[in-house]
Amino acid sequence: MTDTDATIRGVLEALGRLPGTALRLKDHDDLYQNGLSSHASVNVMLGLEDAFDIEFPDSLLRRDTFQSVASIREALVSLGVTVDSQ
Amino acid sequence: MTILIGIDVQPIDEVQDSIEKFGLRYVERLFTAQEVESCGGSSRIAAASLAGRFAAKEAVLKILDGGDVVPSWREIEVRRSTKGRPEIVLHGVAAEIAQRQGVEHLSVSLSHGGGIATAAVVAQINEQLIRANP
Repeated sequence: MTDTDATIRGVLEALGRLPGTALRLKDHDDLYQNGLSSHASVNVMLGLEDAFDIEFPDSLLRRDTFQSVASIREALVSLGVTVDSQ
Repeated sequence: MTILIGIDVQPIDEVQDSIEKFGLRYVERLFTAQEVESCGGSSRIAAASLAGRFAAKEAVLKILDGGDVVPSWREIEVRRSTKGRPEIVLHGVAAEIAQRQGVEHLSVSLSHGGGIATAAVVAQINEQLIRANP
């Protein structure tokens, strides 16, 4: 797991209010099916902004942005976050 | 005339926690200045009222079908009418989707109790408006 992925999962663990641990989720597991609510996704977004020193524009405040760890990572890359290699 | 219904619930303590964690950054991401003002203003924000408004926004999103286009939360606004009743005002993308869907009128009812805020929204769909806005 890369540092970026670990940070994403750490934010999900802290703010996602998931019934299980985010640390065991696979990259493409559906976060909503795993218990992420719309309201919790707002907290995840704000937590990611703090963790990566970025700001999500309204255009990325969509359900599919927070669908999975992979889609979150993709959104971060689109905002200029450099994803470290394993 | 077709009727569509959207309903949603929001735990109030989750909103309270978010306000405590992220403050105005959280509030301003989700709510318009008018919504914040009607909930007590930014200095003493009432979590229960904001939770009801969030539930109302989610209830409206269950009615609007924009495909890949999803309105932002601030484009769905809950206001108080001059008679004190809550009403939905749509802006931007939300208004465009509603127009395409033929939404003629939205009614909203808010309630909270037992730590939960809830909102029910009823949309009147006018098929003639759909034909007028293909």
